[in-house]
Formats: sequence, C-alpha cells, structure tokens
Amino acid sequence: MEFLAKTRWMPVPQRFGAVIWLSFMTAGAATGVFFSILDPDDLRHCVPFPEVSRTAAYSIGFLLFWLLTAASALLAVTFTYPANPDAAIDPDD
Amino acid sequence: MTEPTRASATTANSSEIDQSLYEQRQKIYPREVHGTFAALRVAAVLVLLGLFYGVPWLRWDGHQAVLFDLPARKFYIFGLTFWPQDFLLLTLLMMLAALSLFFFTALAGRVWCGYACPQTVWTEVFLWMERHIEGSRQQRQKLDQAPWSARKLRIKATKQLVWITFSLLTGFTFVAFFTPAQTLLAKTLAFELGPWETFWMLFYAFATYGNAGFLREQVCKYMCPYARFQSAMFDNDTLIVSYDKARGEPRGSRRSGVAPQSVGLGDCINCTMCVQVCPTGIDIRDGLQYECISCSACVDVCDDVMQKMNYPPGLIRYTTQHALEGKPSRILRPRIVIYSALLASVAGLFLYLLFDRSPLALDIIRDRNQLYRERGGLIENVYTLKVLNLSEQPRRFAITAAGIPGLGLLGAEDPIVVAGGAVQEVPMVLSASESALEARSTTVRFTLRALDDDAATITEDAKFLGPLP
Repeated sequence: MEFLAKTRWMPVPQRFGAVIWLSFMTAGAATGVFFSILDPDDLRHCVPFPEVSRTAAYSIGFLLFWLLTAASALLAVTFTYPANPDAAIDPDD
Repeated sequence: MTEPTRASATTANSSEIDQSLYEQRQKIYPREVHGTFAALRVAAVLVLLGLFYGVPWLRWDGHQAVLFDLPARKFYIFGLTFWPQDFLLLTLLMMLAALSLFFFTALAGRVWCGYACPQTVWTEVFLWMERHIEGSRQQRQKLDQAPWSARKLRIKATKQLVWITFSLLTGFTFVAFFTPAQTLLAKTLAFELGPWETFWMLFYAFATYGNAGFLREQVCKYMCPYARFQSAMFDNDTLIVSYDKARGEPRGSRRSGVAPQSVGLGDCINCTMCVQVCPTGIDIRDGLQYECISCSACVDVCDDVMQKMNYPPGLIRYTTQHALEGKPSRILRPRIVIYSALLASVAGLFLYLLFDRSPLALDIIRDRNQLYRERGGLIENVYTLKVLNLSEQPRRFAITAAGIPGLGLLGAEDPIVVAGGAVQEVPMVLSASESALEARSTTVRFTLRALDDDAATITEDAKFLGPLP
C-alpha cells in the first residue's frame, strides 16, 4: 500500500465523507420522493411486499437507498484513484 | 518522505495535501473567545438549540405543533397540515432554502457557517462542555499529552458521559419530531420503544457525537458540499473575515504600548491568538481560505489584543475585497438582484400554492387479484377509492363515474362521510355490459364532489378492463 501514500489522492476523512455522507443525503432525497409518491401500504396491493409498519418500510427503504447510493459513491471514489499509480506518483518522491 | 527542497517547487495547495496524507491530523484545541461576535454566536446557539429541543413539546389544536407523522403520512406545522400530495411545496421550500443560502452568501459571506449551521451549533455546545470539564486550551493540551492516570481517566470519562448523555437527548428529540414527544417519553421510560425508534435515536445520537465531538472541523473541510461551492457566490463586495495586510505587516513582537512606526513594524504583534482561537486551525493572515467558516473568533480575539496594545481595533475584521483595496463596496450588484428576484418569485409561488391547495384528494387503486369478473351478464371491475379530506372539519362527499355507456356504480355508501384530516377507504365496483366496451381497456373518470361546496370537486382517471372484444 506504499503507493497509496505516495499518490496524491484524497485524505481518508474526505474519502469517508464522499462515500458515507454524500450518499446519505442523496438517499434521503430519494426516500422522500419515493415514499411521497408511493405509500408502502398501497404497494402491498400491487407487489408482494412484507407485512411491516410504514415506519419500518420507510426506514428499510432509506437504508436500501443508502446502500445503493453508497455503493455508487464507493465506486466513484475508487475510480478517482489513478488507473496507473506509477505514473501518478510524484517524480520527486 | 518529502524533502524540504520540493516544498518550494510545489504550490501551497499540493504541499497541504501531502501533509494530510503523510501526517496524522493535528488535533485542534480552540481557545475560548469573548467579544461581540462570540456573544452573537452564543445567542444564535441558544435560540436554535432552544427551538430544536423545545419545539417537540409545543401543542397546537390538540396535536403536537410540529410533527412529521410519517406513519400517518401527514406533516403538522402549527396550523397547517401537509400531505404527500403537497410534495411540490416541500420541493419549493428546499429551493427557497438553497436560494436564501446563495443570497446571504453573496451578501454576507459564510454567515450560515459561522452562526447557524448545525455543525457549528453542536460543536460549540460540545466544546463548551469540554471546556468546563477539561479546562482551558493549555489544560486540554497538557491533559492529552500526559500519561494515563486516575485523574485523566476520571476527567475523560466524565466528558464522555456528559457528551453521550447529551447525544442521546439529541437523538430522543430528533425522533420526537416523528413520534409524539409525550408518547415517546412514556415509551422510553417504560423501555417499550419500537425497534425503529430505538435505531433512529441511537443513529442520530451517534451522528451528533461523531460530528460535534470527534470529526468537528473535518466535517467542514472534507464533508460539506457547501464549503466547496460557496466561493462561486463570492465577489469583491462580499463580506469576508480578513486580515488587513497593509496595516499589519511587517509583523513582529514588541512591548505593550510601543508605537508600531517607532520599531519599523506593522500593527500585528504576531501573538498567534488568531490561530489559537480558530476552530478549523488556519492562520487568517495567510488570506482567504476555504477552511474559514467566518466564525470571526479571530476578529474578537484580535480586537482584544489591539485594545491591550492601545492600537485601533479591526486589524482582522469583517470587510470586503474592495474595501481592503481602498475601493467603495456596493451592496446592490447584479448577483444580489438576480438572487433576490429568484427568491421572491419562488417565495411567491410557494405562498400561492400553499393557500390554493385543494381541500380534497382522491386516489384510486385497482384490485390486482383479478382483471375483471363477470356477474349477471355484466363485466365488473373492483376498485378501492381513497378519499382524503384535507380540511379540518368532517365532510360528506358524493362519487360518480363516467366513460362507458350505462356504467353502473355499486358499493359506495351515499354520501361518503370522512372525518377532518382523515383518509377513508371506499371499496367500489363498476359494472358495464360487454357490448358497451369497445376495447380491452377503457378509461373511466371518477368525480368526487363535496356536498357542502360545489367548487370542491376533484376528478381522477382509472382503467376499466374487460375481455378481448
């Protein structure tokens, strides 16, 4: 992992923020839009949907959205890492 | 490791990135500040936290004044009730908040960051507790460097206990915006909280503790999107916290009361107080930096120092780039005019839609178990109608359906009575003769009409399915 330290990449707290926090916000927005259009109690009429309270449905919905957005943020952050670390290493190091 | 020679060859920015990669984060011990802006921030903290912790206990018309009743899909905000149908209003409200942020940033810089951001507000409280338990900046630094002892353990444990208790109280209050506060308190005391209430309480408590106790300035530096784009709203007339280089340099120490000119120095005595009080650990004398949250702690502390030295205050002050360059500052600029115009139009639209909301709503759900059924030679479709009475009084409604010649409507009690602010589910059957159907799927239109007000009418379309013609 030596090259990780030598490559000018973002600091750990920034990576953490980019993955966890930004995905939290987008997941929150997605949950708001999704459940203001769809009532979990109505979903049961259309698709097999577990017998849970609305609070549980919202919470699980949010966590699933978060999982999705965090996964994409994690991939995005990983992809900001130089594809060719050797070339990205500062020549003076 | 990096050689000192290359630091000069690279920009200040990249050497800073190197530092954060190579070095552990330096813990920041902000020194306590007193002064005008500190008092202003304390006042803001008290008002905002007072609102946050107090509002769930307010009552209004027999319900909690501010309650986001997610299980019932209703938001109460004092006299107003919001439904999922009002989603557009929420979107407009978000736009209003964003535009206000832009407007105030263009006008007065990062006032949001310095006085109103929850990150600042809760960090201030956590720091206040830390200061009372661990002592001043020097005492805290000394304590952290000291080896573990019974005294250090006792002090650190006390701080953690107070922080965790406060975080849990914060988590409780957060959930109290969604579950009525009094019910929640009773359930908490009886250890009867639901799994999700418990989860969100702990989640929010953990987030408070992590952000205000542990991460602090790193949230502003690395996690906040606003910190990254706020500079786009800045221009040369935006209020910023700035060090007056022309007046301060060359900096240097001197005895108190010495006139700067007599020793060939500027007004800055290089006491580094401005660095010691900074919650993000920067040196304001290096110029405008994105880490600066405009908390003006350095303004307060520098004014104190200037007073002690018998120099005029304002070496570090709220000013604008133009003022620093000796040019006049303007308040009315194109961007201010544009932001205000946008703000006014969105606010106008929001208020118009708010007071123009329909007092009733209708949702139609088709029975999915069967496409259609045949009974007595007629084709029948089964629906569930959700009649929403968005007014506060009980109301009586009549329902009709049209779209197919000879369409029959069965099952609805007449009239449909719905209590104030309630949803009534009405099972309903439409029937039509097969010969009247021209296609497999026909659109039928339901009309819901309030019996006490002819203007209160709403229509909703649904599909009527039949066999292949």
